[in-house]
Amino acid sequence: MKTKKAYGLVVAMLAIVLVLGACGGNNNDGNANGNASGNGNANGGNAEVAEGSGEDVTLTLYSWRPEDAEGYATIISEFEAQNPGIKVDFQPYKSSEYNTILNNALLSGSGVDLLQLRPYDAATALADADYLTAVGDLPGIDQLDEQYLNAAKGSDGEVYGVPFMLNNAVIFYNKTMFEENGIEVPQTYEAFVAVCEQLQELGIVPVAQSGKAGYLLSMTHAVLGESAFGSNEFVDAVVAGEAKFTDEAFVNSVQRMKDLEPFFPNDFIAIEDKDAQMMFYNQEAAMYINGSHRLETFKANDLQFDVDFFTGFAPEEGGQSHIVTWVDGSFAVAKTSKHQEEALKFLEFVASDSFGKLFSETLTRVSPVPGVEPADPLLARMKSLSVDNAVPYLILAHFNQGAPASKVAFEDALQGLYLDYLDAAQVAQELQDSVDKWFTPQS
Amino acid sequence: MRKPKHMKHLVHLFLLPALVFYVGFMMVPIVSALMNSFFSWKGLLRDQFIGLENFIRLFTESPHKETFNRALGHNVIFFLVLVPAKLMVAYLLALLINSRIKGKEWFKTIFFMPKLLSVIVVGYLFSLILNPSYGVLNTALRAIGLEEWARPWLGHPDTALYTIILVDSWYEFGFAVLIFLVGLQSISREVYEAAKIDRATGLTLLLRITVPLSMPSIMIMTILTFISSFESFELIYAMQGTSGGPYYSTDVLALYFYRLMFSTAGGGEAIGLGSALAVILLVMIATATAVSMYFFRRKAVDY
Repeated sequence: MKTKKAYGLVVAMLAIVLVLGACGGNNNDGNANGNASGNGNANGGNAEVAEGSGEDVTLTLYSWRPEDAEGYATIISEFEAQNPGIKVDFQPYKSSEYNTILNNALLSGSGVDLLQLRPYDAATALADADYLTAVGDLPGIDQLDEQYLNAAKGSDGEVYGVPFMLNNAVIFYNKTMFEENGIEVPQTYEAFVAVCEQLQELGIVPVAQSGKAGYLLSMTHAVLGESAFGSNEFVDAVVAGEAKFTDEAFVNSVQRMKDLEPFFPNDFIAIEDKDAQMMFYNQEAAMYINGSHRLETFKANDLQFDVDFFTGFAPEEGGQSHIVTWVDGSFAVAKTSKHQEEALKFLEFVASDSFGKLFSETLTRVSPVPGVEPADPLLARMKSLSVDNAVPYLILAHFNQGAPASKVAFEDALQGLYLDYLDAAQVAQELQDSVDKWFTPQS
Repeated sequence: MRKPKHMKHLVHLFLLPALVFYVGFMMVPIVSALMNSFFSWKGLLRDQFIGLENFIRLFTESPHKETFNRALGHNVIFFLVLVPAKLMVAYLLALLINSRIKGKEWFKTIFFMPKLLSVIVVGYLFSLILNPSYGVLNTALRAIGLEEWARPWLGHPDTALYTIILVDSWYEFGFAVLIFLVGLQSISREVYEAAKIDRATGLTLLLRITVPLSMPSIMIMTILTFISSFESFELIYAMQGTSGGPYYSTDVLALYFYRLMFSTAGGGEAIGLGSALAVILLVMIATATAVSMYFFRRKAVDY
């Protein structure tokens, strides 16, 4: 009897597993269908939308910037005023959870119409998975710089998003401290080292650098190292497959990072970015390297001194310096959205001057829309510098693929450099090895 | 006669709700991870069936091979250090509490208290305590003249892993004390009395009676510690982030799994590799648990 009962139970369990398994299978099929019908919508969507145009359409917008909710309320009300009949529901998620939530929404094909798109390789991945509507023909998109559009392209070369947010990595410095000590803003790397030595003699930590989170190391490398590897010339060459990271120029840029170690805080590999910021705010440190988005943080912390910035270095006195510039995000339309026409209207708005101005004013960020002048004087200078003399954040913009991503491999190797596990040439070698696994040169 | 028998089977129906959850949240993910590990991936989309290639790549291809071995090594260290740092300490404390000590209940509560905090809170708390510049630990060391002992505990590869393991044992040992206490309290007084009549004392009592008879609780705790060592993730994630830094010195298999699955920007083959790693972890833990249970069972003593 007992065995019979046990047998019955096993059969019941198996049945449930099978049923659930079948459900799962159906789901997958459903997805495939969803994608297919999504395609259908993209083609035949216009007719469908035209029929229902008498009613209000609400678009759901996914964002990774909860802190910008207030700013977007202003921006969205402007859009709604310009486009009666379309409402936008701003739905922000925590930045660290955004990718997972967005991927799930896209995979299930429901809930999301408009989305903030992470730049470069992350955008390419979503475009290649056929989750996004191509927007290459969108009115107004042609006024955006081609190098910014690169942040929202699929492998097929099509544009799948409208870049709306730029970032610049720069060297912020305590202007009051520099002036009090008669220190001049350095133009070249050699002058920068001299400034650091001068500060050190004054008992001030030259650069509030932290190294616990690897991305801060690669960002600092982008700023301090670009003049060593030869700025855009090297960038173009390495992207075209004509140069390698193991080339002397790039190794030198890594060596520069090691050479500057004495000017960073003690045990800086152990300290976090917020500790580094504290050192800068408390005037224990004179400089701090980060993105332009930190200007907002400075404001929030009510600093007791003037902040200014300088960019990467000129190769020689009087030469041309470059500002590290990259796209921080784009707006895109989910292919499964039932309101393609309305969603594309929003993207059109994003590419327009009125969005650029509003965005730049309400959120203190740099907009890629040409001619939009940020109100903040520092941002305005960054923008004007990046029009003519931008250099990309090479590792983020072109080498953030692979498993593990080459960018991460490089950042971890930089930690290894400071912990004396690797020398500069080995760091470059680790990066090249990682890149070799997936990279195909782009012409 | 028939009806009650029929009713008897009906009882099984009451298992259904729990079973649905178990199957839905345990079996389905496990089976789908297994399936996913046999495929290549294009970003988020399943591509082609490639058999065991994901597994082979994890074991043979650089840098996966090195990362896997290093992370596995750290898991083993985790377990080996936790046994003395957590289990032995907890067992000694349980013995003390079980002897006729004053304030028994009070101690039990105190020891168990850390476990009431969330791991993330513990991680954050200790990263403040261990902060190299303003952390309490280094400040205290400097204050009592042990300046050369002050160091970036979490920032140097030599100390980071061990520091985290010690934090973990602080967090977990109260639970072990409780389990050991239950084991110790279940040993019948008569056995001790009989032994005392045979003039057994101190150490003999401990080694011949107390330890063997509390073997079931020791077994449970060892196995649980083994499983938690190989699954360790939250605390390291909270204290060091996803990269298991500095320079991979605190990297463990679960963190590597997380990186493969969730933190590769461009995607690629990461989901296949991640699923393969998850399957390997499951098999490893299940096998080791089964084997150790078999040996512990054989050693079980009964008087």
